[in-house]
Amino acid sequence: MSSPTTLEDPGADPTAAAPRARGRVLAPPVTGQEVVLIGVIAVVWILLWIFTPAFMTPGSLQPLLVDVAPVALIGIGMTMIIITGGIDISVGGAIMVCAVSTAKMLVSLNFSIWMALLISIVIGGVLGLINGLLIAYGRVHAIIITFGTANLFQFIGLQIFHSSTVNGIPGTLASLGRGVDGRSFGVPHSFLITVVLAAIAWWYLRHTAGGRHFFAIGGDEVAARLAGVRVQRRVLLAYLITGLLIGIASLFYIAKGTSTLDQSVGAGRELAVIAAVVIGGTSIMGGRGSVLGTVLGALLVQTVTSGVTQLGWPSQLSDLFVGLAIIVAVGADLIRQRARRTA
Amino acid sequence: MTRTRKISAIIAIGLAASLALAGCTKKNEDTASAGAGTTAASDTAAASDTAAASDTAAASDTAAASDTAAASDTAAASDTAAASDTAGSAAGGAPVKASKNFKIAFVPKLQGIPYFEAMNAGGEKAAKDLGVQWLYQGPTTADAAQQAQIARSFIQQKVDALFVAPNDPNSMAPVLKQADAAGIKVGTSDTDAPDSVRQIFVEQASTEGIGTALTEQLMKAMGGKGKYAIVSCGETAENLNSWIKVQKQVAADKYPDAELVDVVYAGEDQGKATSMATDLMNAHPDLTGLVGECTSSAPGVAQAVKDAGKIGTVFTVGLGTPLSMAPYLKDGSSSASILWDVQGLGYLTVWAGVQLAEGTEIAAKPQVSADLKDVSYDAASKTLLLGPPLVLTKDNVGDFNY
Repeated sequence: MSSPTTLEDPGADPTAAAPRARGRVLAPPVTGQEVVLIGVIAVVWILLWIFTPAFMTPGSLQPLLVDVAPVALIGIGMTMIIITGGIDISVGGAIMVCAVSTAKMLVSLNFSIWMALLISIVIGGVLGLINGLLIAYGRVHAIIITFGTANLFQFIGLQIFHSSTVNGIPGTLASLGRGVDGRSFGVPHSFLITVVLAAIAWWYLRHTAGGRHFFAIGGDEVAARLAGVRVQRRVLLAYLITGLLIGIASLFYIAKGTSTLDQSVGAGRELAVIAAVVIGGTSIMGGRGSVLGTVLGALLVQTVTSGVTQLGWPSQLSDLFVGLAIIVAVGADLIRQRARRTA
Repeated sequence: MTRTRKISAIIAIGLAASLALAGCTKKNEDTASAGAGTTAASDTAAASDTAAASDTAAASDTAAASDTAAASDTAAASDTAAASDTAGSAAGGAPVKASKNFKIAFVPKLQGIPYFEAMNAGGEKAAKDLGVQWLYQGPTTADAAQQAQIARSFIQQKVDALFVAPNDPNSMAPVLKQADAAGIKVGTSDTDAPDSVRQIFVEQASTEGIGTALTEQLMKAMGGKGKYAIVSCGETAENLNSWIKVQKQVAADKYPDAELVDVVYAGEDQGKATSMATDLMNAHPDLTGLVGECTSSAPGVAQAVKDAGKIGTVFTVGLGTPLSMAPYLKDGSSSASILWDVQGLGYLTVWAGVQLAEGTEIAAKPQVSADLKDVSYDAASKTLLLGPPLVLTKDNVGDFNY
């Protein structure tokens, strides 16, 4: 499963693709795990196509992509965080705060989609900044800090809900939803936004000095510091970006939900996002990973979940498959790590 | 460089501390008012009613936290106000006042969801009408252990009657036993704990009533035939599973041309319910019916039908609250929603508590209030039944405000 087996495409050859000197240290654009993932997704799709022909229709694939979008979008930020050796388990609470605030304002003020976007992003950014400041400068492990803020955000969210659901949300966000308004040329807008942002993040992490610093921090924080990387700033940035992305993703959640928003919004999303990142081949120990893998991971998880329902299998089976995928992905990562250490 | 870092560190810590502090104080205030808030609501309510002025005095001396109570949200007060127009003025039935200012406590499965808040509003109304105290507090997650803890704290407060809607009947049974040993009258409401010492179960609607109404409404929309699927919630939820059993039975007996193709479980997650409903429609292109088995999946299945542009082809029914279902009933993505008078259930719970505390026998057809006319009591199973289920359609959904 090691990386140099992926050279069928000449463009993927690192020496050919990157004439600059630092191209040598870059992993090939598509790593082994991603190739495996693409293969697995292709096989699962073909199997689903054979067993439930309706799977390969726009009516089935479009909602699938709408469901993938928010998880993959937050996954971009989570990938950056995990690459630096951190983690964010406050995602669910942050989604709740962003979604309920925006939904309530949509109901009472009925403003445009752009205003909703701005408000949601600002709220998400503030929450991300809180996490980032505490983790970068507080010197306590991210899991402890975000465990704390997860509860805090949840509390704030529930306070805003004020013991009732938000009813009568207007259709302002329909262009991000599951309906006809939510797509152009058959592609859901929310998925399109996710792909564009993922591509930018992929390029940033791979081809800019700033982006490489994230990997350096995750690889060895002390060494990175000695080499002149502004560790705290980078770490802060990772959490801030995640917060901003949560702001956008919250709109996706409102848009694909019903006209009623209840307290279940965001619940358990942190685990879905972390699952997508880990299945995508990002090392939970930090230092390695890619945004492309995360998008593929999110796609695989949603395919499995939808597939199980469409096949008429018991719904718990999707938990089993996702669980197995996580274990296999982490196992593969550990094996690779061991191989590298002995080499 | 290091200075700026230090400054930002200080700012960060300060920010965190102030946030945490703000959070804590708010939380305390919140739990305090949750404990006493209900008495507060009955205070304000009683104050507005001069006839019950003597009760106000009695209520305020037992309620230790009458000052926090004052702070308790105006929303509660407006809820009670709202409650009185839907639940209607009980004046016609002239409710019989309790002989004493009994303390009647209720522990819902979960605090802060509209369903139990509506029950709370009904309970507050009854407390005012009957001249008793209503204590309402539940866990913030549907957690059996946390719920047992709240029930124990009510036992320590020596309430006169304790009602629970258990998350887990088995783990609640010993707590109810403990309450019984302390001389407290115990009952269940909304959800039963059958193998416990409970002296009464206040039931919203019979299992048969709900299951039958769901199937009948769905078949009415589907024309008595076709394929349908159920999007249920918790896989182990006893009430949902027994409704599904009845639905299957009714369909098998009366509608041989209808076929149930799948039952899926979305948890209490609205988003997941919507996705699963979409998947079901894709897997079965000839599907014409969907059932949302709980309050989170009922709007979920309707939204899925709407998004897929299948209004009029796929019909949905479900158990949804009026406000959340109103838009879907109006645009036709939901044909009917089955529920019961949730505020009435809260009212009936308080009434049952008073009967237990007084030690009066309940008649088979008890007179509760002008609005609760169909209440019946089965002495053998000690079950007090609210009445037949309520069918919400586009015509009557506007009459409810929860």
